[in-house]
Amino acid sequence: MIKYIVVGLLVFIVYITFAGSLSTYTVMTGLLVSTVLSIMSAKYLVVDEKKLFDLKRLLYAVYYFVKYMTIIEIKAHMDVVKRIINMDIDPGIVKVPVNVKSRYARLLVMGSITNTPGTVVVDEKNNYFYVNWIKVTTFEPVEARRIISEEFEYYAYKIFE
Amino acid sequence: MKRVIILISILAVTLLSSLVISFVAEITVPRSLRDLSKYYIANTIIDTASPESVAAIVWDYRGLDTVYETLVLYLAIVGGLAIFTIKGGFPRGEPMGLTELSRNATKIIVLLIATVSAAIAFHGHLTPGGGFPGGSALAVATMLIIPVYSVNILLEKGITSTKLVAIRGFALTGLGLVALLPVVKGLEIVTNQKFYPGFLNGVVISGSISLYNLLEFLAVASGFTAVALYLSIPEELYKGEVRD
Repeated sequence: MIKYIVVGLLVFIVYITFAGSLSTYTVMTGLLVSTVLSIMSAKYLVVDEKKLFDLKRLLYAVYYFVKYMTIIEIKAHMDVVKRIINMDIDPGIVKVPVNVKSRYARLLVMGSITNTPGTVVVDEKNNYFYVNWIKVTTFEPVEARRIISEEFEYYAYKIFE
Repeated sequence: MKRVIILISILAVTLLSSLVISFVAEITVPRSLRDLSKYYIANTIIDTASPESVAAIVWDYRGLDTVYETLVLYLAIVGGLAIFTIKGGFPRGEPMGLTELSRNATKIIVLLIATVSAAIAFHGHLTPGGGFPGGSALAVATMLIIPVYSVNILLEKGITSTKLVAIRGFALTGLGLVALLPVVKGLEIVTNQKFYPGFLNGVVISGSISLYNLLEFLAVASGFTAVALYLSIPEELYKGEVRD
């Protein structure tokens, strides 16, 4: 039951934000749309309802979001800017092992790698991500994981596993 | 060194062009309105009970034109589907699709697209948007599912072209009825406020405009999705039919 409420709430927030209004009409249609969409989609989106109650996971998610959008993104952007100016690049695809198992944890790691400039996940196979890296410093998978995705995996584990 | 000079030149041109646009060759914004614009701004809410002039023009002032346009699009889609029809129904196969990561990301994206498309359609009589953009946005969700999950997933969930065409038919019948009902009371076809209420308990619903938007939303979403389903039939199948 709780998964329907959480998905419905997410839909409602997106609906209200997109409409940019809190009028009776928007709230009423928002309630209708969120009810219909949550009934249709919650079973595909949430598998383990218990995790939704865990406040610690939510706090980790908020902390990671702020840290990622500020410190991690700025560092990655500055690194790529420097490389563009100096042409200090040596692109290539490296094999990076992924240790987290749950689907959203893997998705978060993939998104985090791809969203930072300089690294893009191009494929996944047998618990490995194939990452296109702007400056390949190592082809050794464990070492590449330490540089590229270790921090992302730490938070993905805390939030979703 | 040559590289640094090129990069600095690009930066200089970018900065300079933005400065030129801002201060020297300023983009002129019209400061006065034409009489027709003035009329719509002043009277749309009175004439149509809608604060959104574009929606009011499309579904009220020139409503009959839009009803016919919708009919033309419907016939175009029916024609398209007739060309793509194959004997023995839609081919079923094992769903393949893309990686697990792409599927999980798509689940969330599809939910967000559906939410936004509903917001566009439901607010068509209040803000820019309406049934057509909302329905097109919803069709994008299904067009995303086809490559990521495979067309067979849609068919397994019961989203077949027959049902989609039926939904489209139902929506267009409703649209026609909304346009025709005022005639029963001796009013003109596509009449809005004299027949449909503009407000419901103080909430702006703009009479028939919100009804048209909702039905158009269903019609466009189901029509475009049906076309997407047919376009995902492999070419080989058609070639086989031609050979037979």
